[in-house]
Amino acid sequence: MTSRPLMTLQVFVAPPERLGAVPHGTRVIAPITGGSFEGPRLRGKVRPGGADWTLLRSDGVLELDLRLTLETDDGALIYLTSFGVRHGPSEVLAALGRGESVDPSKYYFRTAPRFETSASQYAFLNRLIAISSGDRRPSGPIYSIEEVL
Amino acid sequence: MDRTVGRRDVLKTVVLPLVAVATGAFRDRFPVAKTGETMTSRPLMTVRIAAAPAQKLGAVPHGFRSIVPVTGGDFEGPRLRGRILPGGGDWLLLRPDGVLELDLRITLKTDDQALIYMRFQGIRHGPPEVIAALGRAESVDPAKYYFRTLPSFETSAENYAFLNRIISVGSGEAQPDGAVHRIYEIL
Repeated sequence: MTSRPLMTLQVFVAPPERLGAVPHGTRVIAPITGGSFEGPRLRGKVRPGGADWTLLRSDGVLELDLRLTLETDDGALIYLTSFGVRHGPSEVLAALGRGESVDPSKYYFRTAPRFETSASQYAFLNRLIAISSGDRRPSGPIYSIEEVL
Repeated sequence: MDRTVGRRDVLKTVVLPLVAVATGAFRDRFPVAKTGETMTSRPLMTVRIAAAPAQKLGAVPHGFRSIVPVTGGDFEGPRLRGRILPGGGDWLLLRPDGVLELDLRITLKTDDQALIYMRFQGIRHGPPEVIAALGRAESVDPAKYYFRTLPSFETSAENYAFLNRIISVGSGEAQPDGAVHRIYEIL
């Protein structure tokens, strides 16, 4: 598998909405207040209004289901959805839960972002498969997104 | 083919510059960090899918729909191997922009009798003459088109529970009577 950098995406989240126990696990919704992204072929801001609908499964894996809108520096809108998983040793996850900074190599946080846009200069995003490596910071996650070649 | 970039290199090139960004001083500015090569992977398995002729449903609201029933096949990798049970399928959608979207669901049965539900979404596209040759069921070098998938798995078998916890990527090769997918676990 070969890949190349697509962008680094930094997302800022508001305090999460804790819905508690639902049929498939424990649901927590993290609203997105903003952020930014930058890569060799595109850069811009994250529009407020998206969220990550996270679900903590009974096997300890946190499922991530992110939807947000990117706005490039030349005014194009890009819809991003991303399914992912996060898990690790319980003491590492507890530290993340307390809002501490943790070396991202100590847990597994990977996602598969998909894109939709009508902007012709970014239409290549409609046609690629991507994967990302996440780093959960107290302010929100940072994703290093790679295009799968 | 695997990219092997050490975690330490990643920390140097990506994470450290982003620390400054994440502290908030530059919160309203774009991160200036260089994007790094972060992905490492390892082979998970090769899946060979045998398929029946497509059911061509024609023009539907989102494009042209074809449904390909899966009749069988097999899979093999360092940690698991077995057969594909008949009964799954790939619900293909040819989009107006020429990209073929794949939406596959199949059941794997390992050689030690565990059942694994596998599904993926994927895309396939390429130059018109290459796609036309695939449509005529000719053999085509898979490097000539883009055929990538995002498989995910569900199983209750303890010895394969690692499949429930990974993100993976597949590289596909269309064949006259099915497809071969080389699937890699993202580390």
